[in-house]
Amino acid sequence: MHLAVSGKLVELWRSRELLDQLVRKELKVRYRNSALGFLWSMLTPVLMTAVFSVVFTQIVRIPVDNFPAFFIAGFLVWQFLQNSCQGAIDSIVGNAELIKKVYFPREVLPLSHVFAQLTHLLLALLVLSPYLVAMRGFGVLRHVPTTLLAIALLTLFVSGVAMWFAGVNVTFRDLKELFVVIFQVWFYATPVIYPLALVTAQMGEGFAWIARVIAINPATVFVELARLGLYGSVSATGDAISPLTDGPPAWPGLTAVALAAGWALVSFVAGYVVFLRRSRTFAKEV
Amino acid sequence: MSFASPRRSVGRLAGPTVDPRKPAIVMDRVTETFRLFHQRPSGLKERLYRLRRTSYTDFNALEDISFTVEHGESVAVIGPNGSGKSTLLKLLARILPPDEGTVLTNGRVASLLELGAGFHGDLTGRENIRLNGAILGLSGAEIAERFDEIVAFAGVEHLLDTAVRTYSSGLEVRLGFAVAVMVEPDILLVDEVLAVGDAEFQARSLERMRAFRDAGKTFVLVSHDLDAVRDMCDRAIVLDRGRVVFDGPVAEGVELYRQRAASHSAPRVDRRRGATQVAIDDVELVCADGEAATEVLPSANLTARIRLRALTAVDVCSVGLVISRGDGAHLYELHTTWQGVGVGPLEPGQEATVEIRFTAHLLAGHYALACSVTDASGRETWAVVADAARFGVRPAPGGAGLVDLSASAVVTEGPARRTGDGKAIPLPRPQHRQAGG
Repeated sequence: MHLAVSGKLVELWRSRELLDQLVRKELKVRYRNSALGFLWSMLTPVLMTAVFSVVFTQIVRIPVDNFPAFFIAGFLVWQFLQNSCQGAIDSIVGNAELIKKVYFPREVLPLSHVFAQLTHLLLALLVLSPYLVAMRGFGVLRHVPTTLLAIALLTLFVSGVAMWFAGVNVTFRDLKELFVVIFQVWFYATPVIYPLALVTAQMGEGFAWIARVIAINPATVFVELARLGLYGSVSATGDAISPLTDGPPAWPGLTAVALAAGWALVSFVAGYVVFLRRSRTFAKEV
Repeated sequence: MSFASPRRSVGRLAGPTVDPRKPAIVMDRVTETFRLFHQRPSGLKERLYRLRRTSYTDFNALEDISFTVEHGESVAVIGPNGSGKSTLLKLLARILPPDEGTVLTNGRVASLLELGAGFHGDLTGRENIRLNGAILGLSGAEIAERFDEIVAFAGVEHLLDTAVRTYSSGLEVRLGFAVAVMVEPDILLVDEVLAVGDAEFQARSLERMRAFRDAGKTFVLVSHDLDAVRDMCDRAIVLDRGRVVFDGPVAEGVELYRQRAASHSAPRVDRRRGATQVAIDDVELVCADGEAATEVLPSANLTARIRLRALTAVDVCSVGLVISRGDGAHLYELHTTWQGVGVGPLEPGQEATVEIRFTAHLLAGHYALACSVTDASGRETWAVVADAARFGVRPAPGGAGLVDLSASAVVTEGPARRTGDGKAIPLPRPQHRQAGG
């Protein structure tokens, strides 16, 4: 299996031109027929930020400073994960004609969605960086390496998950129906709206397991890591009136990086192996 | 030859370079199995259901196939529909991995079975050329290098920056072909490509394939067009129900396939199929002496005797006869009403017999007869027997080819002599038989 995967990785590298062309296609097709083009992709995160900011600062209070900045930093990262998988899940079944007629490394299909979404994420961060700098200071720019490291590891993680969804959906078409539910639950189990520190600080005795689940959730690791560079740290004070305190963007601890790297590797290898094993029969099953 | 998992990626990983010491293609004991689900399990519910009851049958599209193709060989794969030809090509193209055995290809493989596959309507011609080239395995530099040639070959200069969705279908196929042939593979796979496109396109694709073959590249063609096969290839592999039944010179392979096609099933009359107003009860093909015609000499006088039975009251109907060659080529068709002869009126249950007499001006080969009953205008078909009778024409001196033109040779000037043994029994020359009845 080790040999097979490394051989496949060489083949994938040789297919970079195809991957590049597919990513371009993905981006061009999406924006060719709309006047606003790329700005459309900014609409969702901006509107979501507006809505969630009203709800979670005015109605239900989540005690973090600059909630919009806090939220959008995590939400963009989350969106990268969700949109990549949403595009990838249909990438094999939706390209049945191609699969049945031409040979090429099948993994470029789900990966093209991951890289198209990665392009979105980077462009969106570029557009929003003035706002984040205004809110959180120049530390955001100084700690760009933290953000980039988080995104690089996240890309590896997302690639694994996306390939898993794409491959498994060929045989279990129900997966597509479950997708919305899976990602809804996953979204709330990931500290996008709330900081992880708040969960550990406020979770009641009997519900400590929920805090553990959220802490183990791999998406948490990446959202927290990326937010450390884009927004800053949030930690618990132990004080009942103002339970949280936040710091400026910072360098991540070794544990956090190791955890993210571990998840990225596990996800990529597992997703890739599952995908490769299933890809042998794609031409018969699509 | 090891049993290890097929390392077919070797050729690919080595890039476009070929190892000339190894054969171009090696197929070793390859079996490909398809699982035919009676109801495709595509979801959890069906999966759970399948745990309780197996609802599929396994079917070997290819069974224990072994052959080797050397560099520069041009091989035709022929066989009836469902014999596994396309599956074989897909294995060579790596679209399907073998379930058993190994497939090794040496050099860059390209196939002309995916013209324009992967074109995206919303992208321009320029963008689609790049995308399609990448799908077929070209690098960015290779696409850039061949870009102008592709554009010129397809003739799309003026439409390069227009979305492909606005192209005509012919233009789209042309662009697909232009990209596909620019791959410059070491091994080219072609699946019935000659059947698509207009005459000009077919001529162009044939020319391109000939050039490819003449350049000493390896070439595998799957086709039902036996003339094209004979023209393009040196070697034929005949498949039947997933097995190799012949592997050798193309002329022999084509002839064997023709014979198998002609003798595959005994003539039979399906009394009920499709019959609405009139049923064809029986079709007989007899010689002038009244014997059943199975093997005859060229230009034999034959009679097709067709027995009909009316199922309802019928005013008038026409009986049709089609004679075709073993490979399906349409040779002759007649409907009795074309000659002003109709059958009827018939009462329900009333029978009628029609005899169609003809001289089979045909040379050695296998031929088949089809019968039909239509309304007088020929618009509505009431009964068809597709494979009503078969007959073979024995080889005989006096001409070769398909049609017996009853030619005779006379030396009108200069000395002439009779060749061969003058005492030989006079052969029944076609024109004699015709004159003698």
